[in-house]
Amino acid sequence: MFLKSTLTGLLLAGAAMLPAAAETSYPLKLSNCGIGLSFDEAPESAVTVGQAATEILYSLGLADKVAGTSVWFTEILPEFSETNAGIERLADNDPSFESVVAKRPGIVTVQYEWHVGPQGIVATREQFSDLGIPTYILPSDCTGKDNSKGSDGTRSDMYAMESIYRGVSDLGQIFDVADKGEALITDLKSREAAAIDKAKALGLKDASAVFWFSSAEMDIDPYVAGRKGPPAYMMNALGLKNVVDSDEEWPVVSWETIARANPSVIVVAKMDRRRFEADDYEKKIGFLKSDPVTSQMDAVKNDRIIVLDAHAMDPSIRNIDALETLAGALPKFGLK
Amino acid sequence: MTEAAIPCAAAWRSRLILRLTLGLAVLVLAVLVGVVLGETPLPPSQVATVLAQKLWGAASGVDPIDAGIIWNYRLPRTLVAAACGAGLALSGLVLQTLVRNALADPYLLGVSAGASTGAVAVTIMGVGAGAIGISAGAFAGAALAFGIVAALARAAGGGSAQLVLAGIAGSQLFNALTSFFIAKSANAEQARGIMFWLLGNLSGVRWPDVALAVPVALAGLLACAVHIRALDAFSFGASAAASLGIAVRRVMVVLLGAVTLMTAVMVSLVGAIGFVGLVVPHAMRILVGARHGALVPASALAGAVFMIAADVVSRVLIPGQVVPIGVVTALVGAPAFALILIRNRSRA
Repeated sequence: MFLKSTLTGLLLAGAAMLPAAAETSYPLKLSNCGIGLSFDEAPESAVTVGQAATEILYSLGLADKVAGTSVWFTEILPEFSETNAGIERLADNDPSFESVVAKRPGIVTVQYEWHVGPQGIVATREQFSDLGIPTYILPSDCTGKDNSKGSDGTRSDMYAMESIYRGVSDLGQIFDVADKGEALITDLKSREAAAIDKAKALGLKDASAVFWFSSAEMDIDPYVAGRKGPPAYMMNALGLKNVVDSDEEWPVVSWETIARANPSVIVVAKMDRRRFEADDYEKKIGFLKSDPVTSQMDAVKNDRIIVLDAHAMDPSIRNIDALETLAGALPKFGLK
Repeated sequence: MTEAAIPCAAAWRSRLILRLTLGLAVLVLAVLVGVVLGETPLPPSQVATVLAQKLWGAASGVDPIDAGIIWNYRLPRTLVAAACGAGLALSGLVLQTLVRNALADPYLLGVSAGASTGAVAVTIMGVGAGAIGISAGAFAGAALAFGIVAALARAAGGGSAQLVLAGIAGSQLFNALTSFFIAKSANAEQARGIMFWLLGNLSGVRWPDVALAVPVALAGLLACAVHIRALDAFSFGASAAASLGIAVRRVMVVLLGAVTLMTAVMVSLVGAIGFVGLVVPHAMRILVGARHGALVPASALAGAVFMIAADVVSRVLIPGQVVPIGVVTALVGAPAFALILIRNRSRA
């Protein structure tokens, strides 16, 4: 009995290590954000809810299976612009439940639980599974993260790239392109390591940073990165201290608190969204330089402001692009 | 009768002056407290140094960031809170008197509902494409809502009951529009930006806002001050006021105009902060009596002090986090109001 279970365990462990080379053996069973999924074959088609999910499928060479996309934050990654032009965009923002279902997707891949999840504004996962449509939520939005707390969810654990790699690997398995998934992960990991090495070479000790996403009004307290989301992971990896200590993903912190913490670097988000005046990164920089208090901050006086793609601050494969941008900008600042 | 009333009026007046002086002193103290207490600790001596430097050009070696926080963030914020509190309290007082309804508050005339609609139109519907701020949109919405309410009240006959009903209709209409806009195109993230603002937010206040809020509050105070006799007369109803020789229509237009201007400006600057306009005039009626000669200055002062206090509490209640000021005014205002009501009953 004991021997048998050990053997099974060994076999299972072996099976878990193997897929890198092997074809997926169906039926495939896996657990995803608290729900067990089972696939008898690779899904014929997919609808994506969330740009990060869309871009992962494109990166896996699965564009021909994508029947529709939704929830766009910014332009598609340039390498996919042609591919994407031929794929129907169900909605720029939240798609309706019926528009997703009407595509008869074999799977719905989702970036955020607030679209498809317990209080999903598109639908709950049950509503999809009742119609026989499986849903896959990127683990980056549920691993160590409680989406019932805080406006954008609250993390109990520090965000890690592992959760993105896990999503890539799962989707590779589901669509029977495991080798492509592993190749993508290997590539991302080597770029991640290179960026981190570049920053580590600077030997930063006292450098700190704040990531400013946007503000509801120009002068009002801004939305900044919390201490456990992707920007926090980046700061941690690159040797920068985060001046914000909140577990919320994007807490509101006062300029008074930020200015007194006086971070050495300010990262401002660049986005296509123009809902708030502060969505425009040039307006953000203009504010930093003209406000009587923020203009006195070291980062502003010494022009240590980095402009960064906003979507690369959300959990996504773009996090690696962000890491590279940051690692490329830091050496010019002469920080210690 | 007049002979007996004169010494009594003189005593009343000197007591009023004493009380107002005391009230002003409390207001100055409140402003100082508002500047000293904030999200991050700053020693009072440093605050004193910075104020001395800015006001009298005294030398200061204070870190420019700390100095900026005191002079450019906290002081304007406190002054706007004071102007806002005074403006809302006066608006509430005037409306309660004009429409003779104890439940009247500054948002009775649809101004707050209109402001929300304007803010939502800018934020969610993208009116103005990011070029107009929430404030401008809110002001436009507030003015539009009041225009509709006033026109409706006039069409319905122009009495105070008609004004209350028109205000309710106008508020419902604009609240429905706001809900419609949100349902039509907002996602959770957009709605959050609006909520943040609707519950009241003073964090974006800077000197230019002071230059708008303080003159508007003072103009409102002046408008009330020159109509004290009319307000006293209105306490007995519009027809009684008319029989006392008050130009009812002109006074209504001037005072409602002042109320709308004050409320719309305050709402557009800091959001719709509840409870101040409703509670402060009632509390002052209990403390200084029903005569508007005392009620008007007392309400303005008490509203200003109350709002500063609420803002300070909102900043220090949870370390590292600012509680929406509307939550604080309601949390503090409701029990305070209850206490005043009970005390008043036992005294009577």
